[in-house]
Amino acid sequence: MEEAVMKPTKKGGGRLCCICNLRRAALKRPKTLEQICRECFYEVFEEEIHQVIVDNQLFKPGERIAIGASGGKDSTVLACVLAELNRRHNYGLDLFLLSVDEGITGYRDDSLETVKRNEVQYGLPLKIVSYKDLYGWTMDEIVKMIGLKNNCTFCGVFRRQALDRGASLLKVDKVATGHNADDIAETVLLNILRGDIARLSRCTSIVTGEDGPIPRCKPFKYTYEKEIVMYAYFKRLDYFSTECIYSPNAYRGFAREFIKDLERIRPRAILDIIKSGEDFRISTSTKMPEQGTCERCGYISSQKWCKACVLLEGLNRGLPKMGIGRSSRGLNNDPKKDKDMKQSNGTKSIENKQCGSLDF
Amino acid sequence: MACDSSTCQSNSGCYKREEEPISSKSSDSSQQSLCVKCKVNEPVSGTSDDGRFCRECFRSNLYGKFKLAVTSNAMITPSDNLLVAFSGGSSSRVVLQFVHEMQQHARKNFDASKDRSLPVFGVGVAFIDESAYHSVPSYEIDKAIEEIRSIISNLDPPAKQLHVVPIENVFSLDSLDGRERLKTLVDSISDATGKEDLLLYLRMLALQKVASENGYNRLVLGLCTSRIACHVITATVKGQGYSLPADIQYVDARWEIPVVLPLRDCLAPELNMLCHLDGLKTLEFSNGPCSGINGLVSSFVKLLQGENPSRECTIVRTAGKLTPFHFNRIPELNDSNVPLATRRRQKRFNLKPSESISSASFCPLCFSPLSKSDLLSLSNIESCQNYDILDAACCSSCRFQIFPKDPSSVEHFLSVLPQPLLARAKNCSNGNYSSRRKQILDCLLSESEDET
Amino acid sequence: MQLTLEFGGGLELLCESVKIHKVNVDPPNGTEKFIMKDLLTWVRTNLIKERPEMFMKGDSVRPGVLVLVNDCDWELSGQLDTTLEDKDVVVFISTLHGG
Repeated sequence: MEEAVMKPTKKGGGRLCCICNLRRAALKRPKTLEQICRECFYEVFEEEIHQVIVDNQLFKPGERIAIGASGGKDSTVLACVLAELNRRHNYGLDLFLLSVDEGITGYRDDSLETVKRNEVQYGLPLKIVSYKDLYGWTMDEIVKMIGLKNNCTFCGVFRRQALDRGASLLKVDKVATGHNADDIAETVLLNILRGDIARLSRCTSIVTGEDGPIPRCKPFKYTYEKEIVMYAYFKRLDYFSTECIYSPNAYRGFAREFIKDLERIRPRAILDIIKSGEDFRISTSTKMPEQGTCERCGYISSQKWCKACVLLEGLNRGLPKMGIGRSSRGLNNDPKKDKDMKQSNGTKSIENKQCGSLDF
Repeated sequence: MACDSSTCQSNSGCYKREEEPISSKSSDSSQQSLCVKCKVNEPVSGTSDDGRFCRECFRSNLYGKFKLAVTSNAMITPSDNLLVAFSGGSSSRVVLQFVHEMQQHARKNFDASKDRSLPVFGVGVAFIDESAYHSVPSYEIDKAIEEIRSIISNLDPPAKQLHVVPIENVFSLDSLDGRERLKTLVDSISDATGKEDLLLYLRMLALQKVASENGYNRLVLGLCTSRIACHVITATVKGQGYSLPADIQYVDARWEIPVVLPLRDCLAPELNMLCHLDGLKTLEFSNGPCSGINGLVSSFVKLLQGENPSRECTIVRTAGKLTPFHFNRIPELNDSNVPLATRRRQKRFNLKPSESISSASFCPLCFSPLSKSDLLSLSNIESCQNYDILDAACCSSCRFQIFPKDPSSVEHFLSVLPQPLLARAKNCSNGNYSSRRKQILDCLLSESEDET
Repeated sequence: MQLTLEFGGGLELLCESVKIHKVNVDPPNGTEKFIMKDLLTWVRTNLIKERPEMFMKGDSVRPGVLVLVNDCDWELSGQLDTTLEDKDVVVFISTLHGG
């Protein structure tokens, strides 16, 4: 299936790969501007990710690792590359695919079919956790009740927790997610635009949540989206690319567009933004919310109840606005929490984050 | 919350405006027949506040922001001699006007006081003539300079000296050669953004030079919130996250003559409005639009600002939370000639030393403090070719967008670089460089001196 | 001149969810060559049924849309100036959808 329709070129260019000097170049790397052929591209693409894994000690031998799998391009390529590197470099990892079923007909059910095929293709055991099982509600049911406003808040809060719960069911040591360099650069900008200095200081970390139940890591932190898509295309990987039916058009905001415009005139800008994010002088005394556990479900929470439980209580009591925005009634009457909620609210167009992906 | 969303203009820790721009606007505008401050006069429209203030209150509010910035950062003391950088745009026109008014006020107090213990600070104006690069016809630049002269001479006394400085003055004294050399230098840079940025660095160099040669001890820039917001994003995009906080504080004393930004809390539309209301004359130069990264960022920020009128403030506020450098304050005065009250006031507003981390090394081109990773790449240089030392002494951004990538053009680049920039490379040798590298640098400097 | 056009990464949604289009195009009047620029104009007029701004920006593709001509990155063949020939395969993939 890697055999692509390769027509002998008649184009005047047909330049040779600057690495092997043998085959015709197939793409221009955004990172280095090198013109390389497909085979050399696979090689450098995979080995760079290997280097990131080694340099940052993302995995230890014998660890159980869940790959957050949405069926989209990033997680599909991540699963493919991690499976390959695990074999090639003897990481000694037990890899799993972990998917969240939000219960969105015509969207998630289709993308889960992709993940199920990936399970077979890469020989990685798949675990699916569903909102219905965890919370008693599918997104379809939630949208029926609350409409199309704030539905992404529910989905985001629930997905984050669902992934942790799935990971603990699988008894994994870490979750690897498909966030790529473009995503991280976008997050750096969004945090500047929103004034969120605490998140700004955290968002470029390659490993997060080490104080939480299950740490997460981003092996694609320095990997360009363009290369991920090229890799998936050349390898004819099976991935799913439809927008979420509940937030069509909202999948990328101004910041994403800006990043793509930047990439066009200066591809290294994406890595420069990440470098800026890593280099920002942020005083470490910036207070982090104290972590406790939710009194209701035991999940980590800085409040009495975790966000998911607050939202769920609202749904179950027929007050779906509970826990949304500034006017949250009852439960956690803490101004600090109100602010947290607002930040995850994302109703302004600038903060429209892509939905339907594993977006934490 | 600490402040009322409708009146709070400061960008220091006020979250409220950001969160509810829509509701606050709609509730305000329904009853908007009178100025929200004096509740007497009709508001002016067209300001960024959507006409909440009448003309007088708008003006005093803007002046208030300027004055707060000046006093709380001890920017101006009675014994100072300020040089106002005047480009002709509305920001620099307003900062000139405000500094002038503050001087008038100080003068009144001086005349009224019995002991006349506090002198009145001095003010001069500098205009950097960039026609050497932006091929502006000479009659146009002559006309502009005449207009600037008349603006300055129409201000009430004390008279302010105007320094018209051709940007090529950064080279040597013979500016005939300088014009050509400047063109050669800028043309040798292939990256469009790099060209623009180098011109900015040269402009600062020219301002520092004229300030230093004429006995000024403060350089006043009219940078406003909108411009600073763009700088925050461009610096981030260029990978200058480490040095960013150095550029956006009220005070930047890394230069020989400390730079102050008293309009840091004012928005561009407000400044335009004031010029319009008060009939302050501004000049437009056809320098062409920004291209490359800078142009892209400014249209991005404009788009965001249109979507949410407090976006620029939020951007500057975020960057303001980054830890500043030790030089982001007026250096302590221990001079016994300085009145005690002044010194005391200064102490109160200075940054706590514990908040700052000292940084000894600066990029010789853009003069931004170097991050650890920049320094690391410097100490890793093992080859001892001439250019490596300057190349490696640069921040990663200048190395990419300004420094020549082709080793064969480096000699040429260094030969047209202004002497002060080369000297900086020498100055930053106290620290992480081995003595051998220092020698290399000395050798490099003497070589380029021979050539000039 | 016959071309095969393929839309992926979500772009197919803009042309009635059809991924592969076999099309016949001719060089604009008075020219011999048919270049990518001509193709984009043609696609926009004839294939894109909704939200054309998701496909194009100005006279090029929207940043974030990858273009391959015969499985080769169009950044290597001159982007908008790439000359197309009979039986060429042009692939458009959006990077903007899903993760």
